[in-house]
Amino acid sequence: MEIRISGVTKQFYPDIVALRDVYLTIPQGDFVYLVGPTGSGKTTLMRLITRELVPTKGQITVGDCNLRSLGAIDLAYYRRDIGVVFQDFRLIEGLTVYENISFVQEAIGMPKNLVRERTGEILDRLGLWRRRHLYPEQLSGGEQQRVAIARAMVNCPGILLADEPTGNLDLATAEDIMSILLSINASGTTVLVATHNQYIVDEFRQRVVGIRRGRVVRDERKGRYEADGDL
Amino acid sequence: MSGTKGKAGTRRMAIFRYILRDTWRLLARNLGLSVLTFVTAVAVFYLVGASVLFVMNTRAMIAGVESNLFVQAYVKDGEESMRTVAGKMQAMECVASVETITPQQALESLKARLGSQADAVTLLGDNPLPASVQVQVKKAEFATVVARELIAMPEVDDVVYSGELADRLGKISSFVSRLSMVILVICIAAASLVLFNTIRISVYARKDEIETMLLVGATPAFVAFPFVLQGVTLGVLGALFASGILYFSYGYAINALIHSLPFLTLIKDRELVLRLGIVLVGGGVTIGWICSWLAVSKFIRAATRPQ
Ligand SMILES: Nc1ncnc2c1ncn2[C@@H]1O[C@H](COP(=O)(O)OP(=O)(O)OP(=O)(O)O)[C@@H](O)[C@H]1O
Ligand SMILES: [Mg+2]
Repeated sequence: MEIRISGVTKQFYPDIVALRDVYLTIPQGDFVYLVGPTGSGKTTLMRLITRELVPTKGQITVGDCNLRSLGAIDLAYYRRDIGVVFQDFRLIEGLTVYENISFVQEAIGMPKNLVRERTGEILDRLGLWRRRHLYPEQLSGGEQQRVAIARAMVNCPGILLADEPTGNLDLATAEDIMSILLSINASGTTVLVATHNQYIVDEFRQRVVGIRRGRVVRDERKGRYEADGDL
Repeated sequence: MSGTKGKAGTRRMAIFRYILRDTWRLLARNLGLSVLTFVTAVAVFYLVGASVLFVMNTRAMIAGVESNLFVQAYVKDGEESMRTVAGKMQAMECVASVETITPQQALESLKARLGSQADAVTLLGDNPLPASVQVQVKKAEFATVVARELIAMPEVDDVVYSGELADRLGKISSFVSRLSMVILVICIAAASLVLFNTIRISVYARKDEIETMLLVGATPAFVAFPFVLQGVTLGVLGALFASGILYFSYGYAINALIHSLPFLTLIKDRELVLRLGIVLVGGGVTIGWICSWLAVSKFIRAATRPQ
């Protein structure tokens, strides 16, 4: 599924324009860093792709699906193919780590034995197995982040959106997370990572899309965190 | 083909299991609220049931009195005009039955009533009693109409009936019906409001969860279903308990009434309560379903509406 953003402007209030006339095409299987100063519109772009927001102007298509004309049920099925790691995690307080990950599978009608198998597998892979009975508030920030990542990837989505997935992690753990994201990408999933982490971007060189005050200011293959000129 | 079907089947089973578990979780997590709603539902359904039983018994009582309500018309000259009047009465819509009483029959029944003093009747000499027509009306409120009709006939000399009683019964009957309608409406409104609010509170308690579920691709129906089931469960449990209490308290009340007021026509058969219970449970399902659906779907629509 190709993400095609054409001429998108997102205006919240007359004087708050989060994105301005953005054109961006992300082919299936791409790995993209979205970089830019805080408030530049990275989260807004992701929320447009999940269709929590609709553009004020312009169109977004994913595959052959125009997000503007999506009914409630089609929207649900569209979202099943998109994993999201939210900037604020959005783990459910009343559920354990295990349940937080199993419930998104149950929510789309996955059979019980498959849920058990996949939840166990992913908890193991992200080093969370021994934390499975804990509640989110009992976890460290980095652990919560890993649960959020586990939840986003467990349904094997075609597109993974990760908003600051290494925000609360030390470098070693951040590298861990990156290698997980890269391996998901290697299996064919499009990965879009919004980040302020210069080390990661420069270490694992991928496509870099720079945003500034709502405009795409650069788009480089194997880019660096800082543009050679300004930013 | 059958493979696909089987897969869809397990998927449906998985969804079903999840929904049941989630409903239980909803009820248990807001236990205090659930109990409060349940108690309110019991009280409301009890009140509905009790008022229905009250109306039905009032109706039965009035019907009992009505079946003894006659309009009697004494005719002027002999059996000829008696038959004319009877014929006219039989043609009327609101008349249940017409009985003619010849002077001879009147004398016989008078004798029978006097019993041992029957001989006194012979003192009257020639039979002075007039022929009469006894009309039974279908409903108490028709008595006045029939009486007026009879008076207007030239053959009729005099009309005797308990007009005031008839009027009063008619008024009581319609008052009780109207009162019970008002009670019914108030009760249903109260039950709906309480259920609606309970579901809304439990929806808001799980606001984040619902939003996340919708974001990972759960369908609105899937998200809504546990809440709807929660509402239906509370409604049905309330109606069931109310029916049970009604069943026992009705038996008790009827027994007490029959002992102290044996002349009243009351409905003794408790099967009536069972049938009423079925209706109440049906009402519980309906109210529970509609209220919780309204509460949750409003929220889901707001949550899926993009900004
Ligand atoms: N729902 C909203 N209503 C009004 N303004 C909003 C809303 N969401 C975002 N904005 C504004 O849009 C701009 C872009 O916000 P956004 O969250 O996309 O930034 P960001 O690039 O993700 O920043 P950060 O790196 O800090 O996460 C900000 O100025 C923000 O105030
Ligand atoms: Mg952000």
